[in-house]
Amino acid sequence: MQHEHVIVLVEDNANDEELMLRAFRKSNIENRVVILRDGAEALDYFFARGDHAGRSALEIAQVVLLDLKLPKVGGIEVLRALREDDRTRLLPIVILTSSAEDQDLVRCYSLGANSYVRKPVDFTQFVDAVRQLGRYWLMVNQAAPSSMM
Amino acid sequence: MEDDGPSLVRRLRDGLRLVSTVVQAFAEPTPEYLESLDAIAHDVAEVIPDMCVVLLRSGDQFSVVAIHDGSPDARARFVDLLNQPYPVRDSVIAAGVIANGPLLEPWLDTWLDTGEHPAFQRGSQAASVERRILSHATGMIVAPLAARGESLGVLWVLRHGEGKPLLDELDLEIIIDLANHAALAVSNARLFKQLERVERLRVAEERAVHASSLLDGIVENIPDMVFVKDADQLAFVRLNRAGEDLLGISRDQLLGKTAGELFAPHEAEFFSAKDAEALATGLVEIPEESIQTRHGIRWLHTKKVPLLDSAGTPRYLLGISHDITERKQAIAELSAAKLAAEDANRELESFSYSVAHDLRTPLRAIDGFSQALVEDYGDKLDVEGRRYLTRVREAAQRMAELIDDLLTLSRVTRSELRRDRVDLSALAHTLLSAFQRVDPDRQVELSISPGIVADADPQLVAIALDNLLGNAWKFTSKRPAARIEVGVTQAHGVPAYFVRDNGAGFDMTYRDKLFGVFQRLHPESEFPGTGIGLATVARIAQRHRGRAWAVGVPGEGATFFFTLTEPHAA
Repeated sequence: MQHEHVIVLVEDNANDEELMLRAFRKSNIENRVVILRDGAEALDYFFARGDHAGRSALEIAQVVLLDLKLPKVGGIEVLRALREDDRTRLLPIVILTSSAEDQDLVRCYSLGANSYVRKPVDFTQFVDAVRQLGRYWLMVNQAAPSSMM
Repeated sequence: MEDDGPSLVRRLRDGLRLVSTVVQAFAEPTPEYLESLDAIAHDVAEVIPDMCVVLLRSGDQFSVVAIHDGSPDARARFVDLLNQPYPVRDSVIAAGVIANGPLLEPWLDTWLDTGEHPAFQRGSQAASVERRILSHATGMIVAPLAARGESLGVLWVLRHGEGKPLLDELDLEIIIDLANHAALAVSNARLFKQLERVERLRVAEERAVHASSLLDGIVENIPDMVFVKDADQLAFVRLNRAGEDLLGISRDQLLGKTAGELFAPHEAEFFSAKDAEALATGLVEIPEESIQTRHGIRWLHTKKVPLLDSAGTPRYLLGISHDITERKQAIAELSAAKLAAEDANRELESFSYSVAHDLRTPLRAIDGFSQALVEDYGDKLDVEGRRYLTRVREAAQRMAELIDDLLTLSRVTRSELRRDRVDLSALAHTLLSAFQRVDPDRQVELSISPGIVADADPQLVAIALDNLLGNAWKFTSKRPAARIEVGVTQAHGVPAYFVRDNGAGFDMTYRDKLFGVFQRLHPESEFPGTGIGLATVARIAQRHRGRAWAVGVPGEGATFFFTLTEPHAA
């Protein structure tokens, strides 16, 4: 079996989810997108437990797009948990959020986020941002070797 | 009596002159009677040769206070006797005269043989002083110095050598007369001295009373409680009016009592411990102590200090208590208000956070799906339909701008002010270059004064300048020869930074509205904007204790000023 490079989108808002998928399409990004709708599910997925206990080990997250405002477990907590665990320490994580608060930005970078992108309201800009993200994380960036995925 | 007539007359005349001298010498009551006595002894020795001695009694001692002799040699022999006190009980001559009255011994030839007065043979303890005075004497007169029933001493006249006229009754009378005058004078002088001492005491006492009442007045009117306790019992010996008012009891109820008899046990224990500490170590300061009074619990800031006597032993304990109850309450209220403000600030912060997140999310959907509609179904809509969708997107984006501007305004209000050196000239250059990049086709003449430096929060000042330059850029957009100037001037004694443009300007009638939130003086269609920018500038100036204001002329331009420090009082 071949490894599959997927995009993991942690997003609870259905509109944002759909717009994100549309932006991927518009940017010609064809990777499969795994959608996780809250922080707890995200952690289950990455640590292959709970509902995601049996997920394929061949599925490799090329990039994780993580919203900050999430039900159950917040984005900051998810980020911290992923950075504290050796299995996910090197996972490329892009924070994708509405917040432009300095404190959020500083916290995310200090916790080891790879990038921080504020979702623009203007959809044209939104597509631009996603295209740039995709170009960097899916095509240019060489993913770190992963021990597990 | 062998005297002839003229000799007698001369002696009488000399005697009278002597008495008159003495009377004159003592006419003025003077405390310097010892000097006068010395002068008398001298005069007497001159008139009635050969030696005159004045002995004064002080308690149970005699001492020679004056001694004069016709011959300088003789005088030198006796000068060592001056002020040599000897006991009354050892005295033969002086004590005998005081007890028995004046003594006239015209011829002492028997003594000359033995060298001793017969009286001296009664006791070997007889004073050597009197023996010395008597040695070589051939005759003598001794008269008591007595006045106002008090024996002061004796006036003792001696004749030396043979072949001189014998001392007689006339000499005795003159000497007694002299002695009486001298005694009265000495008595007067002593009285005078006594009076003087009494007067001095009275004046000193008056002064002490005056000083004490002045001190009382001061202590009584000090607005802080002042109390004094004795060092031994720690019982109150003094309390001023402020203390009575504070404690709600009169000094009569308090004086003589200890803390234990007046206050609750735990309070009394604390007060006494601090008293002991002050007595042992010196000044003790108690920044805060509570005391149950008739008016409820009061909080005091107290200083206690021992008052020492001249030997350095603590005699009293002085306490001064300043009532800090109101201040303490004010501080408590202030910190409660501060906590409430911090709560409110936290609420505002979480509100702002929600605004940033939650309000923008649906806007993104509105904009995004409108765009999707245009892209996917544009061919099914006519021009009007597509225009509507464009309007929907514009409105959504404008609302996003509003939200962002409001968030900036709220961030400006709650962020902590951190002053640093800010190069406003460089900042203006950077910001204007950014505007130029967005509108590369615009021709704007820029004039930025070099070296404008401010001590301000760099982030906030950047926001303020960005708003002002953004406005200037925007309002000059319809000018063919646009001009923007950045400079600094003085207002109210502090630097006032300004941005001047030759743009649309404004009517000064509405200048008060300029800096209000959502206040706009131009229609949105003419100059887009949220109406929050200048409110943000004003808020930033206020955060720096400065202010913002503007002058303008419609169609000619506007100048916006802001200061970043408190104005200097005129």
